[in-house]
Amino acid sequence: MADTEKLICNKCNKELEPIKTNFSYLGHSFFTDLPKCPKCGMVYISEEFVKSRISEVEMQLEDK
Amino acid sequence: MSYLNDLVVDCLQFERAFCVAECPFDIDVPDFIGKLQQGRFNAAYKAYQNAVGFPGIVSSLCHEPCKEVCPLKDNGGSISLKLLEKAAMEYARSTSPSQFNMPPKDKRIAIIGGGICGLACALRLTTRKYNVTIFEKSDRIGGHLYDVADPKIFLEDIELQFSHESYSLVLNKEIDDLKALEFDAIFIATGIGGNDFGLLQSNDGAYATSEKGVFIGGSITSANTMEAIAQGLDASNAIERYIKIGKMNQPKTDQGTKLTVDAIRIIPNEAILPANDNLYSKEETIAEAKRCLKCKCDACNHYSPLLNYFDKFPRRVTEEVQITLVPSSLDGDASMATRLIATCNQCGLCKEVCPVDIDVGKFFLESHRTMRENGKMPWAFHEFYLRDMEFSSSDAALTKLPKGYSKSSYFFFPGCQLGASDPEYVLSSYRFLTNLFPDTALMLNCCGAPAEWAGDEPIHNKVISQIKENWVSLGKPTGIFTCPMCKKMFQEYLPEIKSIFLYDLIEEKDIAPNNKFKEIAASVFDPCASRHEPELQNSIRKMATKTGFKLEPLPMEGEMAECCSYGGQVAIANPPYASYTAQKRIAQNDNPYITYCSNCRDIFTREGKQTWHILDIIFDLDQKSRETLPTISQRRYNRLLLRQQILKEFWNEQFIIKRDDMVIQISEKLKEKLHNEYILESDIQKVINDCEKNGSKIYNPDNETYTGYKQIGNMTIWAVYRIVKEGNFELVNAYCHRMKIED
Repeated sequence: MADTEKLICNKCNKELEPIKTNFSYLGHSFFTDLPKCPKCGMVYISEEFVKSRISEVEMQLEDK
Repeated sequence: MSYLNDLVVDCLQFERAFCVAECPFDIDVPDFIGKLQQGRFNAAYKAYQNAVGFPGIVSSLCHEPCKEVCPLKDNGGSISLKLLEKAAMEYARSTSPSQFNMPPKDKRIAIIGGGICGLACALRLTTRKYNVTIFEKSDRIGGHLYDVADPKIFLEDIELQFSHESYSLVLNKEIDDLKALEFDAIFIATGIGGNDFGLLQSNDGAYATSEKGVFIGGSITSANTMEAIAQGLDASNAIERYIKIGKMNQPKTDQGTKLTVDAIRIIPNEAILPANDNLYSKEETIAEAKRCLKCKCDACNHYSPLLNYFDKFPRRVTEEVQITLVPSSLDGDASMATRLIATCNQCGLCKEVCPVDIDVGKFFLESHRTMRENGKMPWAFHEFYLRDMEFSSSDAALTKLPKGYSKSSYFFFPGCQLGASDPEYVLSSYRFLTNLFPDTALMLNCCGAPAEWAGDEPIHNKVISQIKENWVSLGKPTGIFTCPMCKKMFQEYLPEIKSIFLYDLIEEKDIAPNNKFKEIAASVFDPCASRHEPELQNSIRKMATKTGFKLEPLPMEGEMAECCSYGGQVAIANPPYASYTAQKRIAQNDNPYITYCSNCRDIFTREGKQTWHILDIIFDLDQKSRETLPTISQRRYNRLLLRQQILKEFWNEQFIIKRDDMVIQISEKLKEKLHNEYILESDIQKVINDCEKNGSKIYNPDNETYTGYKQIGNMTIWAVYRIVKEGNFELVNAYCHRMKIED
């Protein structure tokens, strides 16, 4: 997500903020700060993040 | 899981080359030759010297038994090892033996006989700094070598090899009674017709006699000159073992080899003859060394795309899979071979080429099952195709007798992918069949291969039971197949169902159009599942020839058929491997291919190779309409379309394909992206539907798009879209990930 990009939660009409987000895959858990609605917790993950960090960790866990 | 552990003991990977097995010295010829190939004469000489003890004597007297067994013997001439050995000696920087700086040992060894066998034993023992005394009854050392060689040569070599070592030599001393000798060990090497002191050779170990501490070897035990030297060298190990641990049970060296010539890929290659009499030049040496095939069994590694890609042999595979199945890491979750296991195409080529029938594919499948049972196989590798199979067995499935029949003699099982590729393949085939046998029933379903490949036995059993139940309801007819994989699956898991190929029936009826493809050069690509179907392979070739094609063989066809890359549905677990494999398959020659598996056809076409399905040719189907390949979403829709069209044409029944009121516009480019990332358009619809229903979406004011996600199965799918008007959306982007978002 580009820094300048403004993202708004449709439900709460709040601007997203970097908030701790939890993930799990193949029995392992992780967390990282991602744009999230401070009210309802709706998260946004960009394609760039999916194709880089997430995809990389997925591969590592599958090969671990 | 135990399958390969039991079989891998027979693996011939480390079996001796034919020449090594014949060599009395067990010279590691591939290693020696490898050094010469690189022009490393010094290293090659050292390896040779270490193996034979007396290189000067051996290189001049060896009778070259290796030449008789070299696979090149009748293919340009055996490798001239003797000349190569001479060249190594000639071009080595130094031929003097290595000097070992070790303290002397206080153990005393008597060697009876100063012939070449006794000297060879003495050489090894003195190099290890044992105190050695040789008793020779005559007034000279060398024994029977005086009868077979020029004393100048062998005496020089003996002197050279002992230049850093010393031993006591007692000449003109005939030993009559061993008891008179006070030594820690004795080696009897008294030569042809020599004194054996009434001792028998013992079976307890190599060179052992019935007397403790006394060993025997060389010409007295009927060895020839070369064998006598080799035995003298080797006996030193048995003697040292006795001195160290008091046992005379040195294992006897294995003889022979189980290697087969079939396992070696022989390319005829003319022998290099030395321009200068009896000595190769350096260049000639390297050229002759490069002719060597370095015989070893690597058939599976060479032919199996998987073992070749990962550069592994069955033994290594067993070890890595074992560690993966029974993790030994501290956190108990190391699984180094997961992707290797999940990348097997299950094509069966490894077993086909193995001289001892080791089936690594079967082992991978068993391991896959174990991992799935333990919950260790990543779900992502197979979820897409298991969902696809579920779709084929439910929404797109159909089991039906033709109108007016209460049972059938035949049922047509086109498999799930043929109709997915194009419904017309199935429609044309069923028209042909119902004309031929009007009571032919229809079964649209999946054969269960995706569950088999996923190692998911419970799901697989369910599919098989469903098929069996349907088959019984049709009156237990004979199955007619188009897909070789479906037929293979039926034969293995539903052997009670008799099965034949549609193509054999077509070939018999001679309906293929004559000479339509006149003089077009093409090659038949046999699908891997047709490996043991020679009649089918023949039928396809006959039909293709009849239609005018000029067929040219592929290097890998018939029993050597390779997988197009679809087998095992490995493309999700290992996309680079799938792409690499497909590319290799289409590069076999420049001809267009003719195949009879819709997956082979679709994969090759997608990779840019002109490929006909044999049904395109037989039913004269419009090739142009199939140039644009269906995406994964269209493949699902095509199956529904097939169900609709076939019900209408043959049963006059209506089947309405459910359509959501929602309209999603997707560009062709984005459709291709969804295809490549295994995202179904129907899943995108679910995501947008969910977002719109409960309002959980993110608005980006910069480009006026909404972004939302939904977990479908285990996969999380994201959609970026615009609202065109109510119920009408434009998909801007989509992507997915395996990692689950925890709320």
